[in-house]
Amino acid sequence: MTGDTLAPAARLASTTPSGRRRRRYILLVAALAVAVVASTWLAVSIGAVHVALPQAWAIVADHLAPGVVARTWTPVQEQIVWEYRLPRALLALLVGAGLSVVGAVLQALVRNPLADPFLLGISSGASCGAVLVLVLGYSTLGGLSLSGAAFAGSLLALGLVYVLAQRAGRITPSRLVLAGVALAYLFQSLYSFVLQQAQSGRAAQQVLFWLMGSLGGARWEMLPLPSAVLAAGLVYLLLQHRQLNALTAGEETAVSLGVNVHRLRLTLFVLTSLLVGVLVATSGAIAFVGLIVPHAARLLVGADHRRVLPVTALLGAAFLQLVDVAARTVNAPQELALSIVTALFGVPFFLWLLRRRSVDRAVTVG
Amino acid sequence: MRLDLSGVSVRLDGRPIVHEADLVVDDGEFVALVGPNGCGKSTLMRTIYRALRPSAGLITVDGDDVHRLSWRESARRTAVVAQETPAELDFTVGEVVLMGRTPYERAAAADEERCARALDRVGLGGGEERGYATLSGGEKQRALIARALVQETRLLLLDEPTSHLDIRHQLEILHLVRELGVATLAVLHDLNQAAAFCDRLYVMSAGRVLAGGPPEQVLTPELISQVYGVRAVRRTQLVFERLAL
Repeated sequence: MTGDTLAPAARLASTTPSGRRRRRYILLVAALAVAVVASTWLAVSIGAVHVALPQAWAIVADHLAPGVVARTWTPVQEQIVWEYRLPRALLALLVGAGLSVVGAVLQALVRNPLADPFLLGISSGASCGAVLVLVLGYSTLGGLSLSGAAFAGSLLALGLVYVLAQRAGRITPSRLVLAGVALAYLFQSLYSFVLQQAQSGRAAQQVLFWLMGSLGGARWEMLPLPSAVLAAGLVYLLLQHRQLNALTAGEETAVSLGVNVHRLRLTLFVLTSLLVGVLVATSGAIAFVGLIVPHAARLLVGADHRRVLPVTALLGAAFLQLVDVAARTVNAPQELALSIVTALFGVPFFLWLLRRRSVDRAVTVG
Repeated sequence: MRLDLSGVSVRLDGRPIVHEADLVVDDGEFVALVGPNGCGKSTLMRTIYRALRPSAGLITVDGDDVHRLSWRESARRTAVVAQETPAELDFTVGEVVLMGRTPYERAAAADEERCARALDRVGLGGGEERGYATLSGGEKQRALIARALVQETRLLLLDEPTSHLDIRHQLEILHLVRELGVATLAVLHDLNQAAAFCDRLYVMSAGRVLAGGPPEQVLTPELISQVYGVRAVRRTQLVFERLAL
């Protein structure tokens, strides 16, 4: 017979590879968790005002449990660490994890390895809202904040894509992508027009910077909403990991495995759009993270979403943290837009990925 | 177990593809569905496993209207091995086979045991950690049969399960399925194979089920020339016999 048929005695030995894989996975998750903490620690201490690593730690500890640590820092250091750097670092983790997880889900949803969070036009909608606020001024739009307007824009885009992608109550991947791409162009031309008409060069500058992604505006009060949406989303996705796997194997396969494909697609579409809207509203459009991190995660742990999702979230969090540190320090005191840094890492990785045979095949098939 | 189709019609984009099909598969039977390209065989199969909805007629498995069951419940009754293979993603064979447990509650240890047993049965024992994409065509098809096995259904649908395979692997797969003893409805291209392996067969042409019954009664030269437009000569001897390896 063909195939490597093993005798029952050899069967026992054959369970070792799967055990080894499990151990490797646990080690990987632990290592990534350490990387997330370490990169955040680094992000909090590095910057124009230097705060030594132990001191940064002590400041945070003092806020969590007042009076436990002896005060060895200046009020300025404390203010910088607690009010600016820590919320910014935490936002970096949220945005990095969120965009990456959205990328992983969309790649399964539309069965295309090139899918990323900006595919569905949601971010262009968000950007459009933000541009309107920045250029026309807050008062014109009834006092909407920048992130409020961005979120409203993303919801509008979400609704439009949803209506356009439907046919007889069903959402199909090809329609989703076409509707998303078309709307993205529409929104882009819209905000480009507004930008061109803008009188103030400063506002245009600010918009351009925001469009390329920045965590500079991070404040504590911006954290709860994205955290809640991301946490709820992750829990839901992990509970659905088998359905996600089945969907990756093909729509009809998923149906024959008992997955309610249409409801799953709809839920995933709404969930990812909400996440993108919430995240883009806080940080602008950060390119490449959602595209490359899921691929890197799959290289590490294979295609099973039970492993891909946690690894993607941790990897994305640590990656964007380091990207933000680089963006703040490389050209200090000027900050780089995050998309510049992610593209510098992202493009070479992406080109390497293109050389891999699997992408090629999946694109032609999918 | 009994699969029963009565008066099933299917439309795709408004065009009628299948017209009032009647078909029965009884417990433990291996039933073949044959017919020329475009006759509606695959459309009919996809309607049975709910990728499509019928525009008229009734499909029952164990007496229940399939299209009214919950998605999980219908997947617990019917498993499918189709031509479509999962995209070239980095799933391992074990992960692909475990997908067959999707309609059930998760039970990690028991599921791994089921997966190991199923792989043994299809001759891929111990292959859990191999990459699915690295398997040969015949091995992939056997892994998909293992996936259908762990789904623990009493009805198996095969949609041209052997179309990409060479003759030896085709025979291997068909023998394997026959020996499972699960009620099977299989779309097959090769009439000789269909005749050799099935208990009964149905012939479809232009969206209609023309005839059904034991192959020697149904596959008359007249019917074949009517359906396929070719002249058939009946020989008494089966042409291919699997070699004992």
